[in-house]
Formats: sequence, C-alpha cells, structure tokens
Amino acid sequence: MFPTPSRIDAAGRFDWLSATLLLGAVLLCYYLVPLLSLLVSQSPAAVLGRLSSPAVVSAATTSLLASTASAAVATVFGLPLAYWLARADGRPATLVTAVVVLPLVLPPVVSGMVLLTVVGPGTFLGDLGESVGVPLTRSLAGVVLAQTFVASPFVVVTAKSAFEGVDRSLEHASRSLGKSRLSTVRRVTLPLAWPGVVAGITLAFARSMGEFGATIMLAYYPRTMPVQIWVSFSTLGLENAFPVAVVLLGVAVATLVALNALGTNPLE
Amino acid sequence: MLELTGLRKSYAGFAFGPADLAVDSEVLCVLGPSGSGKTTLLSLVAGILSPDAGRIALDGARLDGVPPERRRTGLVFQDGALFPHMTARENVAYAADDGDAVETLADLLEIRDALDRKPAALSGGERQRVALARTLAADPGALLLDEPLSSLDAPIRNRLRDELHDLFDSLDIPVVYVTHDQRTATALGDRIAILRDGTVEQVGSPEDVLDRPDSEFVARFTGTDNLFDATVTRRGEGGDSEDAVVRLRVGDLRLRAAASADSSVGDDVTACVRPSRVRLGSPGDARIGEADSGDGGNVLRGTVRRWLNEGDGYRVVVDLRDAPVPLTARATPHRFERAGIRDGAAVEAVVPPAAIHLIR
Repeated sequence: MFPTPSRIDAAGRFDWLSATLLLGAVLLCYYLVPLLSLLVSQSPAAVLGRLSSPAVVSAATTSLLASTASAAVATVFGLPLAYWLARADGRPATLVTAVVVLPLVLPPVVSGMVLLTVVGPGTFLGDLGESVGVPLTRSLAGVVLAQTFVASPFVVVTAKSAFEGVDRSLEHASRSLGKSRLSTVRRVTLPLAWPGVVAGITLAFARSMGEFGATIMLAYYPRTMPVQIWVSFSTLGLENAFPVAVVLLGVAVATLVALNALGTNPLE
Repeated sequence: MLELTGLRKSYAGFAFGPADLAVDSEVLCVLGPSGSGKTTLLSLVAGILSPDAGRIALDGARLDGVPPERRRTGLVFQDGALFPHMTARENVAYAADDGDAVETLADLLEIRDALDRKPAALSGGERQRVALARTLAADPGALLLDEPLSSLDAPIRNRLRDELHDLFDSLDIPVVYVTHDQRTATALGDRIAILRDGTVEQVGSPEDVLDRPDSEFVARFTGTDNLFDATVTRRGEGGDSEDAVVRLRVGDLRLRAAASADSSVGDDVTACVRPSRVRLGSPGDARIGEADSGDGGNVLRGTVRRWLNEGDGYRVVVDLRDAPVPLTARATPHRFERAGIRDGAAVEAVVPPAAIHLIR
C-alpha cells in the first residue's frame, strides 16, 4: 500500500504535512491572540457595565434587527440568483457573477457613497421613501440597505457553489419522474445544497453585524454596534470602546454558533 | 410506440443525427462506442436536451417541446442517480402516486431489505434495482436506460442482466437500452441499433447485426475481427437452385461464400467472418464432426501466431499460408486442446460458406 505520512516520518524524512500545519499555526495565532488579549484586557465588570448602558443596548438591538433583516433580504433575492448562476452556462453567467462580486471588492465607504447617489436625500428614491414614511437614510431601512449591498454577495457566491455541487443528473432524474422544476429544487437541490446555503447566510449575517463603512454613510443613526464602537472611540477614547467591542464579539460568536448548529443538521 | 424522426442536435464539436428510429413495445439496444451519441439520444427523448430539428413522439403524442416531467419517459442513469438524502424507500415513493406501488415494486425488484437504507449504504446492484424501481414507480410510457450495468462487477452484472431480460418481457412499453457492450445488447435487445459519430449505422435483430453487418464499422464494433478484401470471381455456381454461392479470391486463397449481397463477378467486396464461426483443428482433423465439412467448407491452412486465454474460451490468431492476412478464431477449451494449439503450430481452419458475409 501507499506509505502514510507517519511512515515517511519513521523513515526519517521531512514531513511536509507537519510543515503546513506549522505555517498555518502562525496565522491561527495571528487571529486568536488579539481576540484573547481583548477579552483578558477587559474586566467583566466593565463589560457588564457597558452592556447595561442604554446606548449599547440600543446599538445591539439595531445591529441584530438590521443584520437579521439584511440576511433575510439577501436570502430571498440571492438564492434564486445563485441557483440561476449555478445552472446557466456561458458569457451571461460570467458577467452576472462579476456584477455580484463587485460589492465585495468595492471599499465599503465607496459602497455607501454610490448608494447615497440612489437613495440619498434629494434623489428620486430617497424622496419617494421619505414621502411614504420610510426614510432610506438615517433609518433602520438605511442600515438594512447598506448591509444588504455589502453582505448579500456572500449568500449568492456561497450558495452558487453549493448548488453547483449538486449533481445535475439528480435534477434530471427528478424531472423525468414527473416533478416540476420548482418541486425538484425544493425537494432535491435545496436539501442537498443546504449546508452551503446556511454557510452563505451565516457569512452574510456576520458581515452585516460588522458592517461599518457603508452604514455610517447611509445611517449614522440609528447606531449599529460598529458605529457605536466608533463613536465611543472617537469621543471617549480607545479604552472606552473596548467593552463595546467585547459585546459585539460575544453577539457575533453566539450567532455563528447558533447558525452553525442549524447548518450541520440540515432538514432532519 | 416511440418514434424519432429526423432528430438532430449539435453542440461544440459534436453533431447528432439526423436520426430516425421507431421503437414498438420491444427492447431496442443502442450500441456504440463512447462519444457516438448514445447518451445524447436518451437526453433528447427524456427532454434533458432539446433537439435542433426533428420530431419525437410517444404513442402518437409529440414530445419535443414538452417539459421532461410531462413526457412519461422514465430514465435510468448509469450510476442510478438516487437522491442521496433519501432512503431507498423514499426514493421510490418520490415517484410513486400511492404507497402500494412501493411495496409491489420492492417485491418485483427484490429490494425489500434495502428499503430503509440510504444510497451510500447500498451495493451497486441494489442501487440499480432501486433506481429501476423508482423509474417504474412513475409509471413511464417508455423506459430509457443509460448503461445501468456498466459500473457493476461481472457476477452481479450477469445476474441483473438475466433479470432485466425477464422484466422487460413483462413491460408492455418501448424500452431503449443504451450500452457499449455487445454482449449486453445481444442478450437484451429484440433489435439493436448501432450508433456511430451521431448517426444510426444499422438497425436490425441481433442476428442481423452480428452476422450480416452493413458496414465494416458495424462488423468490427460487434466483434467481427476477420475482414478480408476480396474479389468475386464466380457467381451462381451449381445452377439456379444453388445460386446462393459465390466464389471469392483473397490473396491466393479461393473461398466459397453464401451470396448474401447482390454482388457480381469482378466486384471488390469485404468478406467478414466472426471468429466464433471459424473451426480450428490440427491438420486433417478440423473437418471431423462438422456437418458442413462435406459440402465445401473452406479449409484454410496456416500456423498459430499467438493465442489468448479469455476465460471461457481461447482467441487464436493464425497466419494463413495463402493470404497475407491473419485469421482470428475462437476456440472452446475442448477444441483448443484437441487442435494442439501452441505458438507456431500448424493448424487447419474450416470456414463454412454461410459464415462468410459480404459487404460491398
């Protein structure tokens, strides 16, 4: 049989698998050490104190509400597009994919600026929203618009590759068994792509929770957690921003854990 | 009745058709090498691909333009294409209108023990049985099978092939069975269609296709290794009552052949002989026991170039004394021993005139 890495080891040769782990470990430390240092630098009392501050509670509520709404909007509009992209061939699909990826490569502040040219004060849509009582800037709707723009590509891109991973012959089989395209997607494609779809929604939610650049352009109020951290930092200094950052970290991690639990056990 | 008329489909680097085929309540085996368009044919009928031109009809109703789910063309895939997130039972029930169908099909295809397992936990044979049950559960008006046995081990393949034969007999619908394996095609097909580069090269009964190929391609693809360039030297020897015989010249060899094609003296033809129709023996011994040895079976002399043990028989290549072409023969183990075959051994080969088929 083929030698395993450990056998090569036993023969005294250089073990490349261990080398890859060693290199990766450096990166892992770079991720984890700042997070841990943030956590240990803050006394639980300070964090709890900030937690009960009305500004932080309001920011956390806004962030959770808006991110949930953004993830939902991204899912409703993103999944059909992801499916179309996964099943379409040729140049149109490539072009559409490029458009989808655009918000990912735009600096978030620029995303906010381009959005302001469409929904900002004095624009047609902006005035329309204002007149029907749904202002599109300086409002929860503005936060959702900013977050959706920046975060929804994660749903499309991740779900697209999840759909692509579902063997097309399964869909052909389903349809030749008398099931419509919609029924096929609902009963065959979506259940099989589910873990990838959930991963996409999770990423979009996480990205929304952390969204700052586009949000601050569209909606300084109501404040989201990242905006609140920025305000604390710029008015009261770094030390005062840290406890709010810990709160944001806690909310983000808790949400990821919850969503992942959902994703690992699809439809059972 | 499944009818394909002038069916055509082209995509990058490949053109299928125009193809005309009519399949009654029978088994049509579509036989061809990979890349000949077999799967394209099934995909067109099932509606996975739409044709560029032509017409597909099932029992008189047009299918082209109809979405796959409304065609009633059940398709069995090479790997089964079972839904991996459902148990075998759920897979079959997915297609069935009522729960009784699942039970009936489970009994028919002997998959009762497999019903509560998911596809990953099924053997290859079980997987194909479940796939077949699922397809039949949808009550198809025509059954299409895309090499369903090709990924199975030989013993399971042979057993399932026997069972499919009986199952197809009991179905009263057109069955189109795609395969690249000539043995499967002859075992299962009421008729065989040979496909080459997207076009139908020949359609006929297994005997027609194997013994009377229309072209050299069909002859070679169905296992006729002996193709000789020959010239017709005489016709209708022995009077009108026996004019079913022609005389041929292959190199310095003179052969008598059944006049299967309307050939005339001087025509250049290809003489085909299936290896299984060649009888080998040691010099002077080959004719013994042959019913046709008395009526002019062609006796060819040569030496053994090489031989191969194929398990259920031997394949022997003989260099002929009077022609610059090798002759391939298949010998049973009994014949092989009796003829004393070894490299370089002198042998005699008897080829009955009826075993020589002429292609013009």
